[in-house]
Amino acid sequence: MSSREEILNRLRGNVRETYDFPDLGFKKLEFADPVAQYIETTTTTAGARVFEIKPTDDINAKIREAYPDARIIASNIPGVLADLNPDTVERAQDLEVVDVGVIKGEVACAENGCVWVPQTMKEKAICFASETLVLIVSRKNIVSNMHEAYERIKFNDYGFGTFISGPSKTADIEQSLVYGAQAARGLTVFLTD
Amino acid sequence: MSTKHSIAAEKFNQDSGRVTRHDQTFWSVRSKRDGLAYQLEEWEQLRESANLIKKHTITHLADYLEQFETNAKKNGVHVHWAKDADEYNDIVMEIMRQHNVKKVVKSKSMLTEECHLNDNLIKHGIDVVETDLGERILQLMEIPPSHIVMPAIHVTREEVAACFREKGIIEKHGAHAAEGLLKEGEDWRTSSDPTYLTRAARYHLRDNFMEADCGMTGGNFGIAETGDIVVCTNEGNADMSTSIPKLHIVSIGLEKIIPNYKAMGVFQRLLARHGTGQATTVYTSHFRKARPGAEMHIILVDNGRSSILGNIEHWQTLKCMRCGACMNTCPVYRRSGGYSYTYFIPGPIGINLGMLKDKEANYHNCSACSLCMSCDNVCPVKVDLSTQIYKWRQELDSMGHADPLKKMTSAGMQTLFEHPSLYTTALKFAPLANHVPAFMTNIKANTWCYGHTMPEFAKESFHTLWKKGKVK
Ligand code: SF4
Repeated sequence: MSSREEILNRLRGNVRETYDFPDLGFKKLEFADPVAQYIETTTTTAGARVFEIKPTDDINAKIREAYPDARIIASNIPGVLADLNPDTVERAQDLEVVDVGVIKGEVACAENGCVWVPQTMKEKAICFASETLVLIVSRKNIVSNMHEAYERIKFNDYGFGTFISGPSKTADIEQSLVYGAQAARGLTVFLTD
Repeated sequence: MSTKHSIAAEKFNQDSGRVTRHDQTFWSVRSKRDGLAYQLEEWEQLRESANLIKKHTITHLADYLEQFETNAKKNGVHVHWAKDADEYNDIVMEIMRQHNVKKVVKSKSMLTEECHLNDNLIKHGIDVVETDLGERILQLMEIPPSHIVMPAIHVTREEVAACFREKGIIEKHGAHAAEGLLKEGEDWRTSSDPTYLTRAARYHLRDNFMEADCGMTGGNFGIAETGDIVVCTNEGNADMSTSIPKLHIVSIGLEKIIPNYKAMGVFQRLLARHGTGQATTVYTSHFRKARPGAEMHIILVDNGRSSILGNIEHWQTLKCMRCGACMNTCPVYRRSGGYSYTYFIPGPIGINLGMLKDKEANYHNCSACSLCMSCDNVCPVKVDLSTQIYKWRQELDSMGHADPLKKMTSAGMQTLFEHPSLYTTALKFAPLANHVPAFMTNIKANTWCYGHTMPEFAKESFHTLWKKGKVK
């Protein structure tokens, strides 16, 4: 018998009582103004910044404003002036030098600042290895809680997606909070219409 | 009667500064959790749902595992089954041989600790680098984790700095890491500033991410309906580990499978709030397919789990999602530290898992419980931790290891636990004990006091204060 069969048989043999999946219809946290709450959460506990972007704004000027010292910008978003493109770099390692990665989020959650970022590029290293991130999110896509967020998120063929709520952080040394552990050490959300 | 735990705890308590810091650190995490709990009206409904979802999944686990496997395979992911630690290690080595792996970057996984993966990799000449900062510090210092979520919190900044100096990390990355960070006059060669040390570790780990041939992660959840593996981190190290190398190996215990996204929504809201007192981890990553040109393997590990399901008293330990809340709140853990326990997972859940793994080796830990039940009250999935410890103590009797002093009081406790109304009454009258002469509560005739000092009971119990609205 293979281990697989052995394990499945033992599991089946060891069940006594069974339980039903519960009804999750209870009332969940809702914000009167999820957008305001999202901004509040993101700029306080999550440790990120929010730039509110108007349709008339020049996105490249805004990126400069967010990170004036940046030398290398990476993105595959049309209209963003980038030095590197995560679709065309040869290796993921090539993105290690990136100062600002510009990426898109699809659903944002007010209760905890999480933004759903599906992989939309060949090398997702842009989302993590970049020194800092600009994350573009539409204010139309903000929900109150994670239950709603999980109803909305979608996968594409790349088969990867992540909720990002702020810059990478750690408190592993004597519990002192430090931003910039292994992944991006700064995050600016561009909130569009 | 002394147990290995009580002896080790006594030693830990000789450094009173360290004990106080340890105690306060974990109590502050517990308090942060409470703060978040009060912000959510549905808190208790979430916990009850999590409890029921886990009970449901675990009692239908074979079906969900099959569904998970089918979907993962549809996504082009390789799925393996390991009945024990040996088979698990063999599977890992076989995959690594096929890919000619020389260096592995690894994000934190208690399962790999359970199966002694690192030793095995090193034995086969593979360089393994832990990438969670705490884990990396421990790996460099060659000491085990003392907590499942904050593994190196007992190590001081000075010790970290000394270790980084000794391992050449400061020499290689110190000057770069110090740029714009250190105060005037502070020398990067000797600094133990946490921000600076974290930065130095960042550069050190970056080098390793770039060179590795394989990234290994655990999994906080596996979703049957989609085949997703979900990994939650704050540092982003699981994502770095899987974004650069072209091989991703996931190691996951059978019990980590959950049915669907509805369940995931419940657990995502509970995990970080309970574990570290944050509304979320920074990253909640869903791995469904391998990256273009890469390969993804999932190893489903049993190693005793399917047998636990048949244990009528203890099967509910399988609900555990390893959040760490029960150790953060445990007064014994906080004051005795992770190394006082004989099992690699400490605290209330570790006492139980250790007993399930090997009673003879781990019965010592059963003394590390005051039956205060704080763990039961914080566990997000309602594992009945203290009741289970209590049951182990009863069993120790037949093993000939029971402490005759504790036996008597345990019997009294049982009456209280089994009659909730009595328990409430007992709590209400507890303040009276404050007026009872000390000799009555502190004499050696009262055996429970022998290992315990009498607590000062609050004039009004938390219960009553809560009801009167005095607790906000
Ligand atoms: S037993 Fe409960 S509180 Fe303890 S680690 Fe597991 S889930 Fe967390």
